[in-house]
Amino acid sequence: MAFFAVDPALYRRYKDQILELSNSFQRDRNEHLPPGQRRPGLSDREIAEQLGLEERVVTEIRCVAERDRYGLDEWERAIEFKRKACRDYVETKILRFLKPSDQ
Amino acid sequence: MATETAALTARVKEAALKRGALVCGVAPAAAFDPLAPDGQRPGDLLPGARSVVIVGGAPPRAGDWISPVAEHLESMGTTQRIEPVGRAVAVFIEEELGYYALHVPGGVGRGDRAFLSLMLAAELAGLGSRSLAGPVLHPRYGMLYYAAVVTTLPLDPDRPLETPVCPAPSCVEMWEREGTTPCLAVCPASRGGCLDGRLENGRFVRTAYKRDLCGTRVYTNWIGSFQKVLEAALDEPDRDRRKMLLYGSLFTRTLWSITYAGQSQAQCFECIRVCPVGAEYRTKK
Repeated sequence: MAFFAVDPALYRRYKDQILELSNSFQRDRNEHLPPGQRRPGLSDREIAEQLGLEERVVTEIRCVAERDRYGLDEWERAIEFKRKACRDYVETKILRFLKPSDQ
Repeated sequence: MATETAALTARVKEAALKRGALVCGVAPAAAFDPLAPDGQRPGDLLPGARSVVIVGGAPPRAGDWISPVAEHLESMGTTQRIEPVGRAVAVFIEEELGYYALHVPGGVGRGDRAFLSLMLAAELAGLGSRSLAGPVLHPRYGMLYYAAVVTTLPLDPDRPLETPVCPAPSCVEMWEREGTTPCLAVCPASRGGCLDGRLENGRFVRTAYKRDLCGTRVYTNWIGSFQKVLEAALDEPDRDRRKMLLYGSLFTRTLWSITYAGQSQAQCFECIRVCPVGAEYRTKK
């Protein structure tokens, strides 16, 4: 293969660990949390050092895993979510959030 | 020297506002080092970087926010209006002041990651603070789009806000009353959404954000949907079913979105739509 692609077996072995260590799911990352409580995700280089992998391998696994994590059905749910949230907002919440003087 | 730096800073900010920025701030390049990942620091992009100028603006208009057509706001949320302001500031610094100035591209660099965190830049420049929902919120305007210029020009830096913008007083009241906030209520992780968090004494003490899930909502019709539909089509042995996938509405709108804007489109605003920060600015007659 002419371009760099990760071995699928290697991908399957490490994808969950790499996503867990990365910024994929951010818990208590916010800067305004107390310093000891902040948990920023690791960079690809830091993940590579922790797992004993090459940085390029971690980067590729993370990229693929981030896309692979949710199936196409999640995109359909996204469409429905936005249509419903937008409709609910316009129908019921404009007065609450956009015109406080009218409450 | 200090007076000269202050005068230069004022000139740069004036130039930014004249070129269309709603707000402009300066962060010291070195301030990124302990916070930004290796490879995403100003000095990684421009050797000798001293300052980062951040311009913000180009939010969706008030009318966009109250349209009942979700796809309308999806289409209006784009960085392509603030990007030229960033580039114009870089041109001003190089042509008028004679220092190197690198306009940070709005797209992604290595590994599908930003060249520089514009949210961190905005926060360090005192233009806003991060919210429970994720985006940096400006105290008056709420969510803005940002562009950044890394420069060797020494400038007087601004300071991060001392008091975070989020949670807003009305959100603290809602938390005490209902145990949630507008953004957490509209997209709760516990019900398939992206956000979670907890407030104590008027500040958030826990936050959680499902970045990849948010990606399916923020980029519903973008690179991800293109790849997913293409993968499904390649896996589909039935010719007629392949046609349904490739000619269907998701793939078609995805192609429209990708070709409509050369820059990133943010296609989900539901957590920000209900946010009280900036609501006054978004309220019209």
